[in-house]
Amino acid sequence: MKIKIIIFILFVAIIYDLSSTTSLAQSFTSPSYHIDWGNFNMTGGKKSSTNYILTDSVGQNAPGQYNSAGYTVKAGFQYAYIQDYKFSFSIDNLDINFGTLSPSVGNTQTNNISITTPTGHGYEIFTSQNSPLATLNINTTIPDTTCDNNDCDQTTSGVWVDNNTYGFGFNATGNGTSNYFVDSTYFRQFANQQTGESPQIFMSENNPVKNHSAKITYKINISPLQPEGSYQNNINFTAVPKY
Amino acid sequence: MSDFNITISPAQIEYLVKPNATIIQAYEINNNSSQDIYLNSEVLPFLPQGNSGSVVYQNIPVNPNINFSLNNSDLILGQPFLLKANSKQQLVLKIKTSNNTSLTDSYYTFFVSQVQKQNNANFPQASGKIGSHILLSVTNTENISTKGSINLFKITPKIKDVFFSRLQFSGEVKNDSNYFLKTSGQITLTKNDQVLKEIKLQPLNVLANYYRQIDCQNLDNCTLKGPFWPGKYTVTLSFDQNLKIPSQSISFFVLPLSPIIFILLLVGIIFGFKKLFPKA
Repeated sequence: MKIKIIIFILFVAIIYDLSSTTSLAQSFTSPSYHIDWGNFNMTGGKKSSTNYILTDSVGQNAPGQYNSAGYTVKAGFQYAYIQDYKFSFSIDNLDINFGTLSPSVGNTQTNNISITTPTGHGYEIFTSQNSPLATLNINTTIPDTTCDNNDCDQTTSGVWVDNNTYGFGFNATGNGTSNYFVDSTYFRQFANQQTGESPQIFMSENNPVKNHSAKITYKINISPLQPEGSYQNNINFTAVPKY
Repeated sequence: MSDFNITISPAQIEYLVKPNATIIQAYEINNNSSQDIYLNSEVLPFLPQGNSGSVVYQNIPVNPNINFSLNNSDLILGQPFLLKANSKQQLVLKIKTSNNTSLTDSYYTFFVSQVQKQNNANFPQASGKIGSHILLSVTNTENISTKGSINLFKITPKIKDVFFSRLQFSGEVKNDSNYFLKTSGQITLTKNDQVLKEIKLQPLNVLANYYRQIDCQNLDNCTLKGPFWPGKYTVTLSFDQNLKIPSQSISFFVLPLSPIIFILLLVGIIFGFKKLFPKA
């Protein structure tokens, strides 16, 4: 009788042991696919309070870093955690349409630039033009302004209020522009890619910002001798975070 | 009226990578505009410029040992793609280092740019471009050794008053290693060997063999407002030990200038009053 009881207990123990080694892995199936997952985490993510931010993952099997020649495996949700970084840049009107220009009158058009940067990053915005304003057949150009005192270029701003000063340039007023333009009477040229000039920063801040914006004023003043025609070019604005 | 309104995430990635290894990084590109847009992607190397995190892209030789491509099945780097209005696209960037990659840092920006239309209009047309930085440290070890020094550390103004002075701390850190480091550390203000204030530094990246100005957490322009007790103060700029940046201290005096001037003025007024209106 005792032997039978011992055999029965052993049998139950073996069954329990076998059943308790069932894998906890997950699998997803569809009519076409069956995907086995090595493990399935219980919870994980980013929790925050006023003073603390906690990122965690619970249930990851064998988390950590594993190295071999040429490869590093960082296992666990903590390693795959994606930074909550967003970097946004907008320009509200891309068509800088001046219509018909009148000679010796400063014709202006505006648009607005807006920027948001993630925690820990400021930003800088570069600008350049593919060429000076030119007619489609590139026979005639409107030169870049050199401002009233012949003292501005793509890197330096100068006062441009005189109606007898001709050319094309821009001003920026608003967040992050005060290091580049003293006020709305100061203008500068767009860097000209055609002659190898590098894009220039005209708006920047060192700290994170949310929806900071600046108004860009484009100005053309043509002489009475400027030939008739449709003048155009492409102006690029490039935003990058501060590293 | 056409516009450009793009978000890229993440704004920066920082990786340690071995030679002959591959990294996969997913970027999310959001078109926040109500108009469809054609975009293109490219990766350009950059160099640091100035001491506040600026970059420059011109005339930088491309490292042939670090290769970039898109892992998307339907896209390649440099191929324009359409991003519908108010929608998003994941771009999966694959970064591969060859066996010959030098054990040092390389810095890049992953750009998403608006494809410029053939400009047949009779006016200037603008376009937008947005970038996300890639800081890549090629190394055989996870524990990178860095070293640096303090280029500059100063406190302004020169003459410090108990009531009317604001103490502004400024400094610049030089990274003397081949790998970028973060300015993890603090500014400690002490008087009579007692710590009065500890100001945490912003953990800014100082790129390899380059320099960067420090910034403070929770303190605008690293400026401390008064009033201060008169006496001798010592301020120390120190960094986390693993950075191997020797700390630097400066001592200065805060003087009771405004109270002295006030008392002198008061005495002068009383003295003058007595001179002008002597007792009859």
